[in-house]
Amino acid sequence: MIEIEHLTKRYGATIVVEDVSLRVDEGTIAVIVGTSGAGKSTLLRMINRLVEPSAGRVLIDGQDTMAIPEDELRHRIGYVIQGYGLFPHRTVAENIATVPRLLGWDKRRIAARIEELLDLFQLEPGEFAKKFPHELSGGQQQRVGVARALAAKPGLLLMDEPFGALDPVIRSKAQDDLVAIQRRLGTTIVLVTHDMNEAFQLGDRIAVMDQARLLQYDTPAQLLTHPAEAFVEQLVGTAERPFRLLSLTRVQAALEPGAADGDPILVSESLRDALSRLIWVGRDALPVVDATGAALGRVSVRGILAHGRSIA
Amino acid sequence: MSARAFALRAAALLLLVLFVTAPGLFAFAFRPLTVNGAPAIYNQGSLLALTLSHLRIVVLATLASTILAVGLGIFVTRPSGAEFLPLSRSLVNIGQTFPPIAVLAIAVPLVGFGEKPTFIALFLYGLLPIFENTLTGLMDVSPQTLEAAKGMGLNPRQRLMQVELPLALPVILAGIRLSVIISLGTATIGSTVAAKGLGEVIIAGLQSNNVAFVLQGGLVVALLAVLIHDGMGLAERAVARRLGRPVDEVA
Repeated sequence: MIEIEHLTKRYGATIVVEDVSLRVDEGTIAVIVGTSGAGKSTLLRMINRLVEPSAGRVLIDGQDTMAIPEDELRHRIGYVIQGYGLFPHRTVAENIATVPRLLGWDKRRIAARIEELLDLFQLEPGEFAKKFPHELSGGQQQRVGVARALAAKPGLLLMDEPFGALDPVIRSKAQDDLVAIQRRLGTTIVLVTHDMNEAFQLGDRIAVMDQARLLQYDTPAQLLTHPAEAFVEQLVGTAERPFRLLSLTRVQAALEPGAADGDPILVSESLRDALSRLIWVGRDALPVVDATGAALGRVSVRGILAHGRSIA
Repeated sequence: MSARAFALRAAALLLLVLFVTAPGLFAFAFRPLTVNGAPAIYNQGSLLALTLSHLRIVVLATLASTILAVGLGIFVTRPSGAEFLPLSRSLVNIGQTFPPIAVLAIAVPLVGFGEKPTFIALFLYGLLPIFENTLTGLMDVSPQTLEAAKGMGLNPRQRLMQVELPLALPVILAGIRLSVIISLGTATIGSTVAAKGLGEVIIAGLQSNNVAFVLQGGLVVALLAVLIHDGMGLAERAVARRLGRPVDEVA
């Protein structure tokens, strides 16, 4: 768990981050979103002390980060930046081994960890371990960047626009993969992005920043239905709101008793996907099944629409 | 390297070795250049010994330049040394603009004749290429790579040794190569102040108006320069290839 308390950064008379407080629970993803120059990267970089705060403090699992030596603190926190900053003179395996080597792990343990991570990120160890970064595609570089950050099993991962350099098709897959890996490892993630869609896709909670201030820190649904300020409302996109809300809700929530004709919808899908299917096949309702294929009921256009309203 | 390029280099090396160990074999080629029955092959000392002492002073001077220039380059690219960057640049530039012959003229009264003044001249003359290339190499390391290294908790020393220097190495090597080549040629003037070297052969030729001697001295220096330039170029390319950015083929 990370607690950020009254964190402030000034450069001379300019305030880059002004009195920000927020808490990120263990094993969740917090996304910091805002326009460029809002201070989100500076806020992130104050967590691993790449930027020294002017005031305020950061607690990781209750321990003040100022009490931990800088380098030791960073060994414990994974860090991924846009462009990844892979070491061009080192192989994929050597890149991943960076922090474990600094920590003095023995060779066998490092080798095992490299193999485990490459498997986790769907990079065949035999093929990729010996490759150099310039021999990898953008998507592969991104995965190596995240694998390297996770090498020493940090409890906390900081990511600054980690998908910014990827094309849209690969980006969405990389985002899904990140969430899957995060759920599996239980890593706490703080991620900075300027992309609202990314924030909604990844964030358990979203922090909206503008002009050095934290405007709102809330769950995606709260952000949509109860925006704290006009700027937040504008940023989440008024036209997109109902659809974003639907994509946050599972079919389970709109499940009705009864039957319907047509290809069934999985109960774990989002209402947005269900609605798009209903529109596409031109029906008012479709049957709902669980993962095993057992019928649970049905979902209707009317039922779904009720969940896309501001007073749900 | 193509087979032809390799054969050329091997031939040049063979020619050099043969010439300095058994120069008599080549007397026939130099005889037409002599007049009044002057000797065709340098006969006032062993060519091999002169070549070795020529190489020795070049290597020593370049080694000293490298240590100072790389050290200075590292120092002025650290936060603590940044303010010395302009000063170091001017000092190193002066070393390069001062003609080596003038350095000899100043150094001889201070340290006497022999190798010392030559060493000083070569050392000063060799600083600039190495220093400038060290700066370029270190400053060209991508900020992202450095940010990632810092973010992973590499301390300043680890960043220098494990990231910055390995990445700057090809460029630094290119600077050292340039410096060696300049020194190989410049070292010949050391013979005017009695340093043992190939300059002796050239000067003897000039004094006795014997073109064959001048040519022999020049030929050995030129072959040395070409071979060393090539050999170091190969090393640079090998290092650069490991970094995934092959440097342009240097002729």
